[in-house]
Amino acid sequence: MTVALDTLDFDAIARRERRLQQSKWWTLAVAFLISLIWLIPFYYLAISVFKTQQEYAAKAPLALPDGLWPIVGNAVEAWTQAKMGFGMLNSAFYGLVGAGLAVFFAAMAAYGLTRLDFRRKNLWFMVIFAGTVFPFQMYLIPLFFFYQDWGILNTHFGMILFYTAICIPFPTLVLKNFMNGLSREMDEAARMDGASEFTVFLRIILPNAWGPMTATFLLQFTWIWNDLLFSTVLGNRPETRSIMNALQVFQGSYASAGPNIVLTAALIASLPSIILFFVLRRHFMEGMRVTSL
Amino acid sequence: MADVVLKDMVKAYGRHLAVRGIDLEIPDKSLVVFVGPSGCGKSTTLRMIAGLESISHGELRIGGKLANDMPSRDRGVAMVFQTYALYPHMTVRDNLSFSLKLARMPKPEIAERVAKAVTVLELEPYLDRKPSELSGGQRQRVAMGRAIVREPEVFLFDEPLSNLDAKLRNQMRVEIKRLQQKLGVTTIYVTHDQVEAMTLADKIVVMKDGEIAQAGTTLDVFENPRSKFVGGFIGSPQMSFFDGKLTQADGDWFFESEALRLPVNAKRYGDALKPGRAVWGGLRSEDIVPAGHGLQPTNHVAIEGVVTLAEMLGNENLLFGTFGSSQFVSRMQQPRLVQQDEQMSFHINVDRLHLFDKETELNLDLESQQKDQSEELDQ
Repeated sequence: MTVALDTLDFDAIARRERRLQQSKWWTLAVAFLISLIWLIPFYYLAISVFKTQQEYAAKAPLALPDGLWPIVGNAVEAWTQAKMGFGMLNSAFYGLVGAGLAVFFAAMAAYGLTRLDFRRKNLWFMVIFAGTVFPFQMYLIPLFFFYQDWGILNTHFGMILFYTAICIPFPTLVLKNFMNGLSREMDEAARMDGASEFTVFLRIILPNAWGPMTATFLLQFTWIWNDLLFSTVLGNRPETRSIMNALQVFQGSYASAGPNIVLTAALIASLPSIILFFVLRRHFMEGMRVTSL
Repeated sequence: MADVVLKDMVKAYGRHLAVRGIDLEIPDKSLVVFVGPSGCGKSTTLRMIAGLESISHGELRIGGKLANDMPSRDRGVAMVFQTYALYPHMTVRDNLSFSLKLARMPKPEIAERVAKAVTVLELEPYLDRKPSELSGGQRQRVAMGRAIVREPEVFLFDEPLSNLDAKLRNQMRVEIKRLQQKLGVTTIYVTHDQVEAMTLADKIVVMKDGEIAQAGTTLDVFENPRSKFVGGFIGSPQMSFFDGKLTQADGDWFFESEALRLPVNAKRYGDALKPGRAVWGGLRSEDIVPAGHGLQPTNHVAIEGVVTLAEMLGNENLLFGTFGSSQFVSRMQQPRLVQQDEQMSFHINVDRLHLFDKETELNLDLESQQKDQSEELDQ
């Protein structure tokens, strides 16, 4: 039996099917409410950076600012008071070099763990990964004394050493899983094509692991950038001070800057991470997909 | 160009033996196919030749040179993998030239070789595409191209067609054969598909449990299976086996099973024939001929059988049925519609009855051949 297709009301069918997929109004309302609560701190930040000190004191915290210009003054104030330029340079150095080295070493470790033939691979992996099992604070005091003994306290080298080491385990886990999924026949083909072990790693495996490497690099960079605890303890001289550490001048009993300055400083300090994310977001999303983080 | 000689090759993983001593000579320019069920050691053997697995024991000679400890790249071998193993981040051009760049070949020469391979494989339109933008057949051709550009002395194929759909597989099979003949390169091809093996091979090597079950030309392996396993593995549909014994009456020999009584060619089996000996009788589907359909064997015995299932293939039918309680497959040429449980008369070509020892499962004619040879030596 044939269906008389021309008599069917396809618009009505489409409407009915769309209605089935649509959520109820109250689920949307609850979702909206939760989003609102979530967004309030961002709103607070967004309006406060446009207020002068007097304006901030005079008005309710959530009231809108009078104009946009005060942000320039706030930014200059924050930048100079906290010596943010210096902190930014230091943190960028720690973040880029530390996370970069960590991901590269992690990739080499992951390659070894998935491709090279040696005994007790799992044990070695556990040794590497054990570093992230315990709370990081546990390392703080021993590291401090160790650094003091070795004279690398308050040095760029010391900071990079720590950040690189602490950032290796997680990318190793991610990249090991990823490389496990890469075809063995691909590197066998390369080896038969005459590639040495290092060439296989550098020219065959690495280019294919670019996605997860970028994703883990971003995560580790952000962690290093946002780290306050270790940079305070291990690098508290002005020349090694990180950006988060620099922001601390706004805290404590002698601090005089108002919340508008503090918030502007916080906003400026978080910009690099955000910019980096947008620059690398294509790779990042790809990496998220393959690693299903 | 080179011949390949395997001598006593063994692969051991700890105590487990994947390959239990392979002796084989592969002549220059020939195409040899390793075929066998999964886990028979065919891929492992190929990988030992490729240099991807170490050789636990024995010798491998390529072009006369001992290659056991040579790194893969110095062996003059190129391999096409089952998954193609193309480099996903490189274009077709880069995939093809990767090995040549690693060998630091001058650029014009690389371009020339790539161009040559590309012409042979008709890959020109795809040179700047990535593997992900190619179809299965095109990827397959790139994989072959990558092997060709190196101008190797030996080609290795590891189940290269198993990821293609049936139609493309037949097409590529012909293409591989043509290419091999054109380039005249010694080729070793691994597959679990016996049709692929038979259509491609100059020489078939049937493997089982890490050993060679039989090596020979396609026709030889098909006509004279050395064992029940080879008889069953080569040929499609499978050979039908009947559990029975040998009897003698009035000087003539017979194979007798529950439902069959077939005269045995005494000349072929000679001294191996002993009254009461327990044997397997093997018959191919084309030697169990439905009466009145297709070419009738001259020397035949007629048996009544019941068809339990008929596969209608258009040009022929495959009839699955029983003689008594033993199952068989028959090939019906000039087919007609067959009903289930239809009773039919089958003409069995008794000249092509294969007999295998019940215990060793080896062909009885091996025993008589050995006799012949030892007699010849005596004289």
